[in-house]
Amino acid sequence: MKSQVTEKKKGIFLLALEGDLDMSSSPQVRSALLPLFRESPSHIIVDLSRVPYIDSSGIATFVEGLQFSRKSNVRFTLAGATPTVESIFDLAYLKGVFEMVPDADRLLDGE
Amino acid sequence: MALDELKGPVVLDIPADPASMFIVRALVGTVSERIGFGREECGRLVLAVDEACTNVIRHAYKHRENERIILTFLINLDYFQVDIRDFGPAADPACFVSRELEDVRPGGLGIHFIKSAFDRTEYSVPEDGGMLLRLVKYRAKEETGQE
Repeated sequence: MKSQVTEKKKGIFLLALEGDLDMSSSPQVRSALLPLFRESPSHIIVDLSRVPYIDSSGIATFVEGLQFSRKSNVRFTLAGATPTVESIFDLAYLKGVFEMVPDADRLLDGE
Repeated sequence: MALDELKGPVVLDIPADPASMFIVRALVGTVSERIGFGREECGRLVLAVDEACTNVIRHAYKHRENERIILTFLINLDYFQVDIRDFGPAADPACFVSRELEDVRPGGLGIHFIKSAFDRTEYSVPEDGGMLLRLVKYRAKEETGQE
């Protein structure tokens, strides 16, 4: 799993992930995601366009991120989920819980 | 053309290590596709077997190294069966329950994913210890080419 954090604009962080998000890689993603909430962000976007697979441990990482975002009043968005990944969120009844958008770049253009 | 059946079981003996799960996913994905399940169903089967194995790593073996998981696949005209065998302490299957899905919190989704994908899920305690989880997915007639 590759991960890269970029501050695209002041307070707007993009976490780009590449690879399967499973039990072996989710601790690494958690370590990349949760510290961002200490950077006084206004918006955290996770780019999932290069994540072909996610399991329950990956989903748990994002649910934790969502909980942090609600506590700290930070917008939290999952962008570019592939159909496979989106169907897993759907199966977990979580598609309506997260803000999910098709494309991170388009979202950033509108910021 | 869909694969109808194999004349015997396929056995995969893997280390109980999260890093080996990609092998399980690749095998289940390829087999379920060849059997003729649809794309979404294949995805669910892959996820379910992955979750069952990671449950073994997390709960039965508590992330101990040097443990094994043995998966046995059976493909016939009527169903696709996956047996997942571990050698950890036996547990009460009544404790294996999914959380309420309305309760959004980390964890507790694995059992839901497993039961959503397979038609039958049965836990048993073999005489020589550990646990056996049998997962069965029935095949529709059009998947096997049967009249």
